[in-house]
This record gives sequence, C-alpha cells and structure tokens, in this order.
Amino acid sequence: MQGKFRWPDGVRCVALLSVDFDGPSHEIGRKLRPLGINSWGRYAGRRGVPRYLDLFEKHSIPATFFVPGYDAECYPQVVKDIHRRGFEVAAHGYLHEGWALGDEERELLSRTHHILADLLGQAPVGWRSPSGRKTARTMRVLKELGYRYDSSDKDYDLPYMARIDGERRTDMVEIPNNTYSLDDFPWFKFSMTPASEVLEQWRQEFDSLYAENGYFMLTFHPRSGWGSGIPSRAKVIEEMIRYIRQHDGVRFFSIAGLADWCLANHDYFE
Amino acid sequence: MTTSNNPWPQGKTCGVLVTVNFDAESVDLHEVEPENLFGRFSYGRYGMRAGVWRLLDMLRTQGVKATFFVPALDAENNPAQVEAILKDGHEVAARGYAFEDHSQLRDNERSVLARAHHALEKITGKAPLGWRAPQGLLSPATLGLLCELGYRYDSSFQDDDYPYVMECGGGRDIVELPSFQMLDDSTLYAPRHSSNRVLKTWKEEFDAMHDAGTLVTLTLHARGDYGSGRAVRAAAAGEFLAYVQQRSGAFFMTCAEMAAWWKEQHPQSEPAPI
Repeated sequence: MQGKFRWPDGVRCVALLSVDFDGPSHEIGRKLRPLGINSWGRYAGRRGVPRYLDLFEKHSIPATFFVPGYDAECYPQVVKDIHRRGFEVAAHGYLHEGWALGDEERELLSRTHHILADLLGQAPVGWRSPSGRKTARTMRVLKELGYRYDSSDKDYDLPYMARIDGERRTDMVEIPNNTYSLDDFPWFKFSMTPASEVLEQWRQEFDSLYAENGYFMLTFHPRSGWGSGIPSRAKVIEEMIRYIRQHDGVRFFSIAGLADWCLANHDYFE
Repeated sequence: MTTSNNPWPQGKTCGVLVTVNFDAESVDLHEVEPENLFGRFSYGRYGMRAGVWRLLDMLRTQGVKATFFVPALDAENNPAQVEAILKDGHEVAARGYAFEDHSQLRDNERSVLARAHHALEKITGKAPLGWRAPQGLLSPATLGLLCELGYRYDSSFQDDDYPYVMECGGGRDIVELPSFQMLDDSTLYAPRHSSNRVLKTWKEEFDAMHDAGTLVTLTLHARGDYGSGRAVRAAAAGEFLAYVQQRSGAFFMTCAEMAAWWKEQHPQSEPAPI
C-alpha cells in the first residue's frame, strides 16, 4: 500500500497508544448493574487507569484516553489526574452507546463534550465512537462542537482528511484504528488468547506496519475482564512500548498531537 | 497500590485464595427436569462422583486449604462430599440455594438467601461466613441481606487487585474478596482451550500478579465440562499450585481467614456501588 503522507523530519513511524476508559458506563448503558461479574468497568477507575498513568510516565509516553461522559461523572478525580499528569482526554460517548442514536445523537455528543470541558477546564478536540458506531450526522455535529479529529473509522492505515457531506475538510482529520486486531478486547473477549501470544501478534503487526507507512495505532482498555488493566496485560503494553522503542525513527504521539501535524500538513494527506 | 505500600503481612507479597465452586446438579437443573439429568446434563453429577474427590486429593498433596462455595441444594444431595471437604479442613461457604440468578429474585431474594444459609448451616454444623453469587449476578439488595444474615465476606466482584470493605447498610460492612477471570478454569475450558494452555495462562497471570503484589484468587469447578474435575485438569491445577508455592512471598489463606485478617488490618470502608 502506498499512501500519500509525510511524517515530521526524522520520523519513520508514528506510534499511538489509545486507551478507551470504558468504566461502568459500558454496563449501565446495557442496563446491567455494575455488581459481581458486571463490575469489570469499576476496575478501570480503581486500578487500571492509575496503573497506566504510572506506566506511561515511567516511559515518557504520550497517550490518549477516550472517556465516556458517565465514567467522568463516576470517577472525576481519576479523569482529572489523567489531564493533570499531561495526557490527552478525548470523548467516547456518554454511556458508551454502541447502538444507533437517532435524533438523540446531537444532545448526547454535546452532553459528554460539556462534562469533559467543565471537569478539565479544556474542551476535548478528539472523539472516538463507542463500539465503532457512527453515522453521517456524527461528523457534522463534532465539527460544530469544535472537534479537530475523529478516531473511529477502520478503512485505512494512514490518517486522512475528514469528509463531511462529501467535502474534503482541511480543518478535521480522521485518525483510523482497527478493533479486530490492534485492540485488546477481541483477544480477551472472543478467543481468550494468553497475554504472551497477544504480545507476539502485536509485535508482528508492528513489524509489518513499520515496514510500510509507519502508522501504528494500538487500542486497549483499563478494565478487568476483556480489558488490559490487570497486571499481566499491562505488562504486555509495557513490553510493546519497549519493543517499539527499539526501532529507529519511531515517535510516540498523542492523537491530538498527530492530528495537529496532519492538519498543518494537510496537502500531504488524502 | 504499589509494592512500597505493601498491604500484606511483613515479608509476604502476594495473598493466595484457592476457591472451588461446587456447582453440581443445581446448574444442570436450570436446563432440564430432575428425571432428565442424563447425557450432556450429567456433567454436574460427574463433579460429585469423580471431580470433587480428585480436587480433594490434589489439595491434600499440595497441603493447601481451600474454600468451597456450595449451592445448598447440591449440599443436600451430596452430603458425603461436603463431609469430606470439612474433614480435610477446608472452608464451606454459600452459593445460593439452587444456583439462582439473584439479580432477578426481587421479593424472593431474602427467603432464598435465608433458606440456603440455614440449609448449609444444618449440613455443616456451622453458619457460612462467605458467599459467592451464582452466575456472578447480584441485586442491589444482596449485600445488605448478606450482612443481615451475618456474612463477613462476599467474593463475587472482579473490580480490584485487593480485598476491600464495603458498607452494606445499618452500620454494617462486608469484605469483598475479588476474583479474577483469567484465574477461573471455566473461562478457558468453556471455549475448549487445552489444559496445557490453561496452565501456561495461569502461570503468566500469576507471575504478573506476584510482581505487582496483588491478591491472587484461583477459581476451580468440580464439574466435568468446564471444570477441573477431570484427571488431566486436576493435575494441571495441582501443577499450578506447586508453581505458586515455590515463589517466595506467596501465602495461602481460606477466604474466611483472609476476610477477617484484611478487615482487622484495613478497616476503612467505602460505599457499596449501588
């Protein structure tokens, strides 16, 4: 694949770590009480996010946390800590709505936007769709709310300029991800693959992408259950950081940081 | 919590709970009538005829005291097995009467909990101190009702690396002993992973938990389908416990011992989730 792109001078590969907070919002949105076996989301606020903050600080890695509005209401201090310790907080639905929203969409996008803006004193500039659910209306509303990037689409291995109502925008960029392979939950929800084998697979993914365009976006969740907040899987994230760092010309970006580069160099992206 | 803030006894780094979900016919009876517990619905009976005896042998070999969570109906139907568990010095704790979904019991929940409680007390001669939700499901009333019955701990949540204490109404509180999905045999045997792969996974999980200094809760089932009652799987569980035992700083307790010790050392409580 030969796409149109340009990375900053000296950068051969950009690496992005994205954390989908997915606390109790995930269960509440599905009408489940966060008790017993449905308490995995609580782990994110209690243990997973603090563990990640320590990990990213230890390795001086910028990372982006996509936070559902409801979880920010449940764990305001934890979300403030993410921001205070220098990491990006972006939006991720209110109750992690993995279903069609219809006419409610505008109100819900706006609600989480204001929850995060009020909590942090700074509005989010990025959004990721919960469960990959997004409509033609979504980008319009995000644009109106002032977002600079979306990170929901699965259709490319490079950032590209967003299309809104068929028009190529130069003020909003799509930063794609892939939730079949470069996301923890399929391995830990469907195939129940041992952590060490997921690490092996992600290293191979990195090798292939490094050899191509050099765009590597990894997504994981700080919850227990199908997430990666627990010690064994946080260790996999740490091993990936170490592995990626061994390669020449790799630079870690927050997603907002990469989005800003792309927007400033939009002629070089499709 | 970091290792510099070690919550465990001096010189220890990793508290280990071995738990066995007794889950016998009470599970299969959700699928078929009592007269039809045959064929694919006889895996629970396998746990009683073969599985639980193998697990008891394995635990004796390893010298580990475990906590068995026992649906009261299964205890009534299999008293010899319960007696053998107690004779070996293991703890018997509660797990519903007939493996009910407690999130759906509504007004019946109080009577179901009381019935199971008293049935188990009658069989074992001692009121159970701990409870684990059948199917992992609770209602907002469950913890309060458990406290009213005198329970000291629950072991149904999967939301922390350590035990913690929750308020449960009326000035009472209850210790939560969280478990871990990847250290539950059914997580990997239900989707048909091999016993070698399970052992490999458990060792990986334990290594990382030991490094982090967390609670380690192993959950086994006696059943013949997704449990560890079959010979090769009981052996895998034994090999895992041997692996845990050779690591410095790891120490075993029954759930009741852990709950009492934790509450004494870390009495501060927090509100229940709902």
